[in-house]
Amino acid sequence: MIHFLYFDPGLGAMVVQAVIAAVAGVVLFSKNLMFKIKSLFGFSQDKNEELFDDIDVTDKDIENTENSDR
Amino acid sequence: MTDKIQHSSSFRDPSGYVFTEGNILKRQISPLYFKQYKALKESGFYQKLIKAGLLIPHKEITEDNTGVVIQPEFIPFVTYPYEWSFNQYKEAALLTLKLQKFCLDHCFSLKDATAFNVTFHKGKAIFIDTLSFDFYQDNSPWRAYKQFISHFFGPLVLAHYHGAQSLKLMHSFIDGIPVKLLSSMMPGKTKLSPFLYSNIHLLSKYEDKHSEDYKGEVNHGTLSKGAQQKIIKSLYEYIKRLKLKEASEWGDYYNKTNYTNDAFLQKEKIVNAWVKETEAKTLIDVGGNDGTFVRKIDTELKQALVCDIDNNAVDINYREVKSRKEIYMTPFVQDVLNPSASIGFNNDERFSFKERLQKFSPDITLALAVIHHISLSGNVPFNKSAEFFAAFSNYLIIEFPKREDSWVQRLLNAKSEFKGHFDFYNQENFEGEFMNYFSLEKKETIANSHRIMYLLKSKNAK
Repeated sequence: MIHFLYFDPGLGAMVVQAVIAAVAGVVLFSKNLMFKIKSLFGFSQDKNEELFDDIDVTDKDIENTENSDR
Repeated sequence: MTDKIQHSSSFRDPSGYVFTEGNILKRQISPLYFKQYKALKESGFYQKLIKAGLLIPHKEITEDNTGVVIQPEFIPFVTYPYEWSFNQYKEAALLTLKLQKFCLDHCFSLKDATAFNVTFHKGKAIFIDTLSFDFYQDNSPWRAYKQFISHFFGPLVLAHYHGAQSLKLMHSFIDGIPVKLLSSMMPGKTKLSPFLYSNIHLLSKYEDKHSEDYKGEVNHGTLSKGAQQKIIKSLYEYIKRLKLKEASEWGDYYNKTNYTNDAFLQKEKIVNAWVKETEAKTLIDVGGNDGTFVRKIDTELKQALVCDIDNNAVDINYREVKSRKEIYMTPFVQDVLNPSASIGFNNDERFSFKERLQKFSPDITLALAVIHHISLSGNVPFNKSAEFFAAFSNYLIIEFPKREDSWVQRLLNAKSEFKGHFDFYNQENFEGEFMNYFSLEKKETIANSHRIMYLLKSKNAK
């Protein structure tokens, strides 16, 4: 694999990712739960922070011809 | 074949390198990367990334056994991480995570995550390293994770606690802020947040622990794809919500100026008319705040660079660019009194502001309400500032606030007993020194103010 020639990813950084992923799982789960509870009681998420979209690249993004060769 | 010159910033990755031929930037792909390149191309993955506006478009020029040459779309002016406003930095970080998530969905992975893989082009962040993609190896952790923390996550969290100025640290650490330093700079309370604790403090501890006993025998460990996706997603959500603590200092600058509304409009009109007259298509506004004056120009500009010392003003401009979907304006942070230097190996990897600006060579430069700051805050004599402004563009629109101006008075008063050393600051000396480098095209006084506008043509003009 070519990337082994390239740079040192840090052994500690590779090993620790298992712990970080576990924490991330809990964080995401609880955020999700809070969101559900909030919407259950009618608190809508604030829509102000719409400067950035979601992580997923949607089909719409890809079909978006605006970005190709202009 | 014309001369082929390898780009001085492109040598770290053995997969290929960037070179210029004639004046065109191209990328050589070595046989080492053929397998990946073919897979990326034939699966249509490159095309997807390009269409989604995530990766800079390229076209294949030549292909044989010794290498493939591609030509990426030209970017007129590359800005670096230490020149981004807080939200620009966020966008670059989110773009990198978005790419990694998309890569994982398609069985690829980003092999590096340096902030220098991203720049701003046509109003948004774009990934510019076409060769950063590799195959995803089942159950392997993300090799670029530490790099992401030291290039993106760390600087952003630092900026959250200590202000946007801390983003400038990247100027000193070309490979990202070391995790140990990051950990030591975080406020103690960050140890109480499981998320920050694991991504910064624990990472630093593990790195420390494993730095000594590494003989290449210890197993890297495994991490399922789902688990990696959780890391990526949690980082994305956290960064997306991250805000600066500091309030904007200059945000409402134009409400604080000593301009009357009429004077402001007159200034706008003058700038607009003169830009039109010079038929300028490219421009830099040095001290452009939130881009107000550039936006008032009604001739079509191909590219406008708007820089300012204040990260918040640049951030406001950046939000404007995004909401108006402007593709010609590039806002960035720059301190004219201490512009970005050339850094990296042989001082050649990242170019100085001056080098990039001379190459970009804008048709016209705007220097509105900056000369008194340069002269009186920076103590720069007029002959030096004239030399600076004459070095990169043909025309200069400069606004000179006279001694009587209230801002000038304020700056002079701050000098207290040394006020006498700044007697040179007057219209006569300004004109005298600037006319050594420029010829006077136009001059107009702004009514009801102590300010004069000049349109100057550089004596080195091409």
